[in-house]
Amino acid sequence: MPTTPFDRLLGNRRRLVYGAAGAAALAALLLVPHLSLSGFTLTWLTTALLLAVRAQAWNFIGGYTGYAAFGNVAFYGLGAYGTAVAMTRLHWPFIPAMLAGALLAAAYAVLIGLPVLRMRGQYFAIATLGVAEATRELVSSPQLSGLTAGPTGINLPFFRPAGLSPLQAATAGTRYFYLAAVALLVLVVAATWLLTRTKLGHSLVAIREDEDAAHMLGINTTWAKVVSFALSAFFTGLVGGHYAYWRTFILPEEVFNIRYTLDAILGAVLGGPGTLVGPVLGGFSYDALSTYLTFSKPFGFDLGQFHVAILGVFIVVVIVFLPRGIADLLGRRRFHWGIFLENIRKNRA
Amino acid sequence: MILTLGQSLVNAILLSGMLALVALGFSIVWGVLKVINLAHGSFIMLGAYITFTCWSAFGLDPFLTIPISMLALFLIGYAIQAGIINWVIRAPLLVTFLLTFGLDIVLVNLALFVWKGDVRSVSPAYAGNGFTLFADPATSQGIQVPYVRLAAFAISLLLAAALHLFMSRTRLGRAIQATGQDKDAAQLSGVRVAPTYALTFAIGAALAGAAGSLISLMQPFDPGMGGGYRLRAFIIVVLGGLGSIPGVIMGAALFALVDVLVGISPLAPLKDGVAFAMLVVVLIIRPSGLAGKAFY
Repeated sequence: MPTTPFDRLLGNRRRLVYGAAGAAALAALLLVPHLSLSGFTLTWLTTALLLAVRAQAWNFIGGYTGYAAFGNVAFYGLGAYGTAVAMTRLHWPFIPAMLAGALLAAAYAVLIGLPVLRMRGQYFAIATLGVAEATRELVSSPQLSGLTAGPTGINLPFFRPAGLSPLQAATAGTRYFYLAAVALLVLVVAATWLLTRTKLGHSLVAIREDEDAAHMLGINTTWAKVVSFALSAFFTGLVGGHYAYWRTFILPEEVFNIRYTLDAILGAVLGGPGTLVGPVLGGFSYDALSTYLTFSKPFGFDLGQFHVAILGVFIVVVIVFLPRGIADLLGRRRFHWGIFLENIRKNRA
Repeated sequence: MILTLGQSLVNAILLSGMLALVALGFSIVWGVLKVINLAHGSFIMLGAYITFTCWSAFGLDPFLTIPISMLALFLIGYAIQAGIINWVIRAPLLVTFLLTFGLDIVLVNLALFVWKGDVRSVSPAYAGNGFTLFADPATSQGIQVPYVRLAAFAISLLLAAALHLFMSRTRLGRAIQATGQDKDAAQLSGVRVAPTYALTFAIGAALAGAAGSLISLMQPFDPGMGGGYRLRAFIIVVLGGLGSIPGVIMGAALFALVDVLVGISPLAPLKDGVAFAMLVVVLIIRPSGLAGKAFY
């Protein structure tokens, strides 16, 4: 764990204060559905939470291990399809189906990780990008259409607890999926926290800093990388399953869309990869901002059609001035505007 | 059957020229700057739209618009590298990845705004003309060779040859090579790295512009067309090996052959999947590409 000025300020009370902050955040998240918020607001928060989970999931391989994985959408899509197939063909209930989808994604990560994790740097990034494209084609191919219904997609059952009218079920569903997203976030943060306290977590950081040295020290780098990749896939797959049941209809073009890879990376990188809270904050705020830009009309000006371009400009600006994410600002003793110039001076040609 | 295979072979050869041009600009940027330019596809798209606009609004012959789109993309590329990417070029790999992806999003959305999302095509009067090889006098069936594709093939190879001459025979070209091989040593020998990077990126963009102009003549396109070509450029560069022009041409030929053959096989819906499987296998067996490492 990198020491921040806050750590030094808090000294021995640091654990306590961080624990209290975490508990307060969780309590606030659990309180939200009891406020009389519109379904739209709750949905907005749910998607933002889901991106926080995916960013933290990417953080296992991309942040701690330092492997620029560019194909996590494959795990998202497999999680969604695994869940959908288990629910529609095997008639499993949602939660076991979601776990099955996530395990499928993790198994797939092990399978492709063994060859692909032998590559490093840009080659690894490209190979994972390629694997994701190939997976999308595979799922929508006619050869597998008996299972996946190919490009026509799969309809999932609606969320409909017994004894509720369709309207009541819709309201209850909005809450249910919000709370499920909170649960996924708690799970992934807990898993990350546990990981940073184990030998495996330290091995991953060692691999990121110098893989050859880590290997020389006797770390089984292949095993560590594959486990990290599988963890990343597992949690990304859980979110995919959540999405499938929430939206009740999935298409290969939709759940294998490359933007799911990119926004998770963006969330993690904007927040600060390789930290416990960075990807969560980055992912949540990035998605909240993105949706806000799509639907709001600040000063009566409809940004809808420009929102992607605005996000692009936002990405470019943050990357140029803060290449190490928002955590870079938090990690400094004192804020001064020279930080931005310093960053530029360090990285320019 | 033989006719189908022959036609496929001719298609593959004609396709390989265009694909080589698609990958050349990507390869030189990657080789020299060590940057994977994810905006490469949108440069190609811009080239196609420049040709479309010149042809539909001003009635220019599409082939005459190639210098226009090359010049426009050269300027855009120079501005992007000098104004943005040069500022983060030494940051970790992910940073330039995300940065160029952000640029790609911006360019695609600007194109959607300017030209709308409609599918366009450039079809001059001679678009359908061609000649037939090995025509059977009875059925007059044979191997079709469209003039447009033949011309695109020739132009691609000419541009590749021109790039090769530029890189090996001129001072600027050698400065680019030197920067790609060892930036610090080049700097010590008096090469100014930042403008050299900008020039390299601009050349890469200009080649993408030319490729876009040629593609616009061969198939319908929309602002989202770039993604597929970006991925093809990846594969071709990896197949051919980073840092060599003949390698890129070989990679393009191999890719085109596999692409066309898979296209007439039952695996056709898995075309991209097969290409990527090929990529992964090559990367595992020979991480430096089939042709090994050279440097322009």
